[in-house]
Amino acid sequence: MDAWLLNVVLALLALTGLGLLLSRDWRWRLGCLGAAYLLTFLLVSQSWPLELAAVKLVGGWMATAVLGLTRLNLPERPADPPDFPRSPFFLGLAAGLVIVIVSGSAPALAAWSRQFDAGIVWGGLFLIGMGLLQVGLSGSIFGNGLGLLTLLAGFEILYAEVETSILVAGLLALLTLGVALASAYLMQAPTLEPRE
Amino acid sequence: MSSTLLWILLPLAVGVALLAYRGKATWLPALLGGALCLFLAWVAAELPLGVVMQLGPFTTEIAPTMVLFGRSFTLDNAHTPILTLLYLLQALWLFGVHLAKPGRLFVPLSLICLALLVGALAVQPFLYAALLLAMAALLLVPLLSPPGSHPGLGVQRYLQFQVFAVPFILFTGWILSGVEANPNNLTLVLRAGLLLALGFGFLLALFPFHGWVPVLAGQSHPYVFGFLILFLPSVAMVFGLGFFDRYGWLRDGTFTGALLLAAGGLMALLGGAWAASERHMGRLFGYATMVAGGYSIQAIGLGGAAGVQAFFALLIPQGLAIWAWAAALSRLPLPEEGAADLSEVTQGAPKHPLALAVLLAALACLAGLPLLGSFSGRLAVLQGAATVAPWAAVFSLLGSLGLLVAGGRVLAAALAASLPRPPGWVEEAQPELVDKSSDLYNPYVWAFAVVSALALLGGGLFPQLFWGMVPRLAALFSQLFP
Repeated sequence: MDAWLLNVVLALLALTGLGLLLSRDWRWRLGCLGAAYLLTFLLVSQSWPLELAAVKLVGGWMATAVLGLTRLNLPERPADPPDFPRSPFFLGLAAGLVIVIVSGSAPALAAWSRQFDAGIVWGGLFLIGMGLLQVGLSGSIFGNGLGLLTLLAGFEILYAEVETSILVAGLLALLTLGVALASAYLMQAPTLEPRE
Repeated sequence: MSSTLLWILLPLAVGVALLAYRGKATWLPALLGGALCLFLAWVAAELPLGVVMQLGPFTTEIAPTMVLFGRSFTLDNAHTPILTLLYLLQALWLFGVHLAKPGRLFVPLSLICLALLVGALAVQPFLYAALLLAMAALLLVPLLSPPGSHPGLGVQRYLQFQVFAVPFILFTGWILSGVEANPNNLTLVLRAGLLLALGFGFLLALFPFHGWVPVLAGQSHPYVFGFLILFLPSVAMVFGLGFFDRYGWLRDGTFTGALLLAAGGLMALLGGAWAASERHMGRLFGYATMVAGGYSIQAIGLGGAAGVQAFFALLIPQGLAIWAWAAALSRLPLPEEGAADLSEVTQGAPKHPLALAVLLAALACLAGLPLLGSFSGRLAVLQGAATVAPWAAVFSLLGSLGLLVAGGRVLAAALAASLPRPPGWVEEAQPELVDKSSDLYNPYVWAFAVVSALALLGGGLFPQLFWGMVPRLAALFSQLFP
């Protein structure tokens, strides 16, 4: 991938990451997650064959669809539970901190490993950071699920640089789906009929 | 036939099939699953792997290895003792379903979960086990928060920490390949060690990542929580022992033993200290399992053959005690979610004397009292720890003491509830002279009490029952237990 194209992909990744964190509408957040998986696929395809990298895209989009369909079937509430803290200023500041930390550590990690591309490391670490931020700041199951999926997507970008096993690709895709299904179940559990 | 087919794919298929069962005979899945587990345990104990056997006119061989997607799953003769143990324990958990009533999904999901855990022990390269362990953890989510209930913070934290563990452990594998090539690079060793510690810290709920354990114990069904806290960390610890077995720098490093002794001691101390002041019966169970987990971590920290033997010597009695406690607590009346207060639960003491007695015996076993199953294992750990890091042994002892204090409080509350009412006491309703719903009239509860007594006391009075199996279990790690 050309350097300018990689930069475009990373810039888009930063935008989707910020969208995931700052948006309050669950549809926008899921759209950002879907876009993040597309960009993850582009980054992973640098080190994996295209057909294997497509597993990330398909698995990620399936996970996004699972969360979306579940959220769609839940009754609309006036507003999500008051996640602490929801001020866009604070969230933007936190995201800025993640960007600063990642921008500092990505070149160092790439130089130390002698195996990673600095741009790809930046993308992976950024998603991991944004995922951790969402998991830490979100009080809702939906936000928690989004955060975990973002974190896993970031990890998959990095891990694809060192591991090309088909089994691992399959297991990571299953894990992504599993997290989405578990989150979807937890979101729906209160509305389900008790059994036995 | 391959061992993977027998011990992983077969229970997986049966579990999936049982998910579809909608019949009225709710005992049938547990019976079928239990019988299957007993059969698999018997095959693991009796039949050799990789040998052609003559069965009447047929010849068969259980091949130790199966290749899936370019990677192998290997269960050879060294694995058979742990397979026997895991499937025997699973059978016990499934036969206890009738009493504990953890819900319809427990039998199929626990079978699938065990298949994934056995898969984690079999997969090569062994680091991929982290992914299978995470999947097994995810699978238990519907049991922890059954339909109709509001998922609490405990299950969310559990989900987060189990997923967090995966990246750390998988990246450790990548760094470890560098350490193998260059073992004198201290920076590399430290980074690998740090990632490994974080990964297993999340996976095993070590301090400071233990917060979800008591919260989840207080919010979920005791039987489901007991199953989770026994099987997941136990298999994760066996997986962790694999690291020590493979990497000499980890096995011989002085810092690893000290770190594990400290982490285990701290875990036992915190568990015991919080247990001593806990009034919620579910959370008390969670703290007790922290004490048990702390001792197991310390056993691994002893290092070498002594450590691995002490770990397995603790695994069996502690596993039985957790099962007995979980089943007994499930029998006791829990008034409503979040209200399983000590005094309210022990109000049922006159009606559930057997369940309460088993619970107290299990508590005493987890505290490590003499004459009970875990005593000899605990003694081995404390003796070993006292020579290397006396403060770590003191931490663990204090943890046990805290658990005993909690046991004393439960006993006192139960006795207070059983005492005759003072003169002039007016009951709102006249109690029946013979309460037929009492445990004493339930043959299943009697059977449970007898099995629990045999399991908890038998191991203490006849320690060779457990210790005889220990060297065969420890032989799984050829470098640690040559």
